[in-house]
Amino acid sequence: MAFEVDPRTEAQWIEEFEAAARRPLEQRIKYAFIHTYKPVLDDEPFRSFDTMEEYRKWCEENLPEWLGYGRV
Amino acid sequence: MAGFDYKQAEEIRHAFQRYQVRYLFIGKSGAILLGYPDTTQDADLFVEKSPANSERIVQALRDLGFGLTDSQTQEVLRGKDFVQLKNGPFDLDLVFAPDGIERFEDAWQRRVEVQGFSVCDIDDIVRSKQATNRQKDRESLPRLLKFREWLKKQH
Repeated sequence: MAFEVDPRTEAQWIEEFEAAARRPLEQRIKYAFIHTYKPVLDDEPFRSFDTMEEYRKWCEENLPEWLGYGRV
Repeated sequence: MAGFDYKQAEEIRHAFQRYQVRYLFIGKSGAILLGYPDTTQDADLFVEKSPANSERIVQALRDLGFGLTDSQTQEVLRGKDFVQLKNGPFDLDLVFAPDGIERFEDAWQRRVEVQGFSVCDIDDIVRSKQATNRQKDRESLPRLLKFREWLKKQH
């Protein structure tokens, strides 16, 4: 899978990687895990699926498309 | 539900160590532990699919405060491929068979230890993201691939 990335975007990403590397793990975790309500997905306390295929299919059939869980 | 925090990550580490659960952080949460700057909603754990490990997972989850009913416990013990828990102190996805990785043992051999956390190697994280082929992963892959390239230059 090859992707074209704009050099300015790439330079910005590298700056972000370097800045993150200077932060302690505790701070990286604090910045990274943000809970946002996801419709349907967050409405059940427990779900289990026999196979990953079953889970992917459930996501495609039940979650709003804009969440991006559908396969390309 | 509040976001997952460092204290909770430590609780996972302690509980899973206490019961000797074989696990690896995977997905974006794994990448974040490796240094990837991004945001995510929950912790994804790749756990070994074996009856003994599943028993240990259940014990560790109870210690962590997940309110598993008897039938939910049986689901975990039965060896599902994917279990999503939102009935505890934080959201947790247990992935027993991630896309793109054939065997837990192979990923275990390649694992990276980050301050006591067992984490999938960046190649395994990328491989599994590529294999899912979801829209959201496809959109975030160029940055993750660049991070992998950058990370490898640091070692």
